[in-house]
Amino acid sequence: MFAFFLFELRRLVREPRLFIFTVFMPVISYVVFTGVGDTSGQSEGVSLATAMTIGIAAYGAVLGAMSVGSGVANERVSGWLRQLRLTPLPPIKVVAVKGVLTTLAAIPSVIAVSIAGRIQHHVTMPIGHWALLVLVLWLGTIPFALLGLAVGYSLPPQIAQPATFITFFTLSILGGLLVPVEVFPRWLRHFSETLPSNRYAELGWKAAAGHLPSAAGGTILAGWTLLFAVLAAVAYRRSTATR
Amino acid sequence: MTEAVRLTDVSKSFGAVRAVDGINLTIAAGETVALLGPNGAGKSTTINMMLGLTRPGRGTVEVFGTSPDRAVQGGNVGAMLQDAGFVPNATVRDLVELARALYPAPLPTPQILRTAGLTELADRRLDKLSGGEAQRARFAFALAGDPRLLVLDEPTAAMDVVTRQSFWAAMRRYSAAGHTVLFATHYLEEADDYADRVVVVAQGRIVADGTGADIRSLTGGRTVTFDLAGEGTAGLDRLPGVRAVEVRGDRANLRSDDSDATVAALVHSGRSFRNLEVSAAGLQEAFLALTAESGPAGTTTSFAAAGGTTTTGA
Repeated sequence: MFAFFLFELRRLVREPRLFIFTVFMPVISYVVFTGVGDTSGQSEGVSLATAMTIGIAAYGAVLGAMSVGSGVANERVSGWLRQLRLTPLPPIKVVAVKGVLTTLAAIPSVIAVSIAGRIQHHVTMPIGHWALLVLVLWLGTIPFALLGLAVGYSLPPQIAQPATFITFFTLSILGGLLVPVEVFPRWLRHFSETLPSNRYAELGWKAAAGHLPSAAGGTILAGWTLLFAVLAAVAYRRSTATR
Repeated sequence: MTEAVRLTDVSKSFGAVRAVDGINLTIAAGETVALLGPNGAGKSTTINMMLGLTRPGRGTVEVFGTSPDRAVQGGNVGAMLQDAGFVPNATVRDLVELARALYPAPLPTPQILRTAGLTELADRRLDKLSGGEAQRARFAFALAGDPRLLVLDEPTAAMDVVTRQSFWAAMRRYSAAGHTVLFATHYLEEADDYADRVVVVAQGRIVADGTGADIRSLTGGRTVTFDLAGEGTAGLDRLPGVRAVEVRGDRANLRSDDSDATVAALVHSGRSFRNLEVSAAGLQEAFLALTAESGPAGTTTSFAAAGGTTTTGA
């Protein structure tokens, strides 16, 4: 199983799209979104510059996890999963490895946007807070990894990719990852707070202030995780059902 | 004698289509068996059932005395399927090393690469391989774990002549080492040249089971051909010895068990004909005769000498 993990990790690192999605795009987005407005002031209990750094790091992390997850659609169609099915490696381990790798795809964005924030807006925080930030933004991608896998196991590649992007953009914008939720009308703000993307970024905002996740946020994220896990499991079973 | 594969009264339907219809087949360990049949004969479905990818609608499938799933998980089976593909961003060597790590007792890497003819291509990315090279990579992936049973579904599709020859040479070395090899093909020559035993499948049934020579002998060995010279084909099928009549253009092909009697009767019939030829029937003719004649209650022709089991279609 470890050999399979290394095999897949090597493939992931060599994938040019991963760099574009999780490093290049978030950093460009960060420069554009934080460059146009006033970034002084406060948001989410930290400075607005810090909040936006974390929001866009989370945006890249979600994109990384979801696109790697939904990339399973290609492996399904190419027959690679079928090929693996004929080796002694049990299918459940294939899924487990895929899941772990998918969450790992979140980390480059967090690091890259943190560096950009440091350079452009002098966003700094204690090293302990930053370590906590990376940890929560890594583990917090689990629901998005599962959602990506659900898409990848249920849709053909040419539909899986746009479906992933539409879902991702909707979650990012409504979840307040690109524009702080303070500018939203009240009703939209309440809606935003029920979304996994908002609660995921909240993990980061709390970590930057040195706080652990809130109970409400943790519960909402856990709920979404459970839902996406069920979707992914159903999609996986249907895709591998023995005829 | 250990059994590698045993199919007992196996059937499989997809909707209204009976892909496999009452197959009984036993393959002994160490045999090299060709599953020969036209497209749509049920070869791939049969193979998928042996590998646990498809469940039989009826009957049982055993591989080394256990279920296909357990045989696969135990590392006893290697397979090269038509629709199995690879992923980008990995090299041939990465793929071989992965296969070696997944099986309990793999072959050494250089040997795998040499056997599959991939030594020069070891560092090539999988998505940069040509069709024939990708087939060889599939072969390498299938044999890396040194499985006791190697299953190959149409292995030489997309291979050029040279690659094809080196592939079969490699396959022979593998089977000579005591491994069981089962391959599906619709190339008659491949089945005849490389298998100890040829199992002919048509319309989901086994219609013949024996050596290549056995299959060839089935039609009595003679074909009588002549130009119709403007006359029809009426009555040709009633000439003595004739088993089948086929017309290609203006030329009649009669498959005959007794070509002397057929020709004598043709001459005495008074009809006109030109360019009469009598030739030994090839495997091609034997194959066509077998697959065309398998009616709803088709029977299996088998040969005790080949070690095949004698069965009758359901």
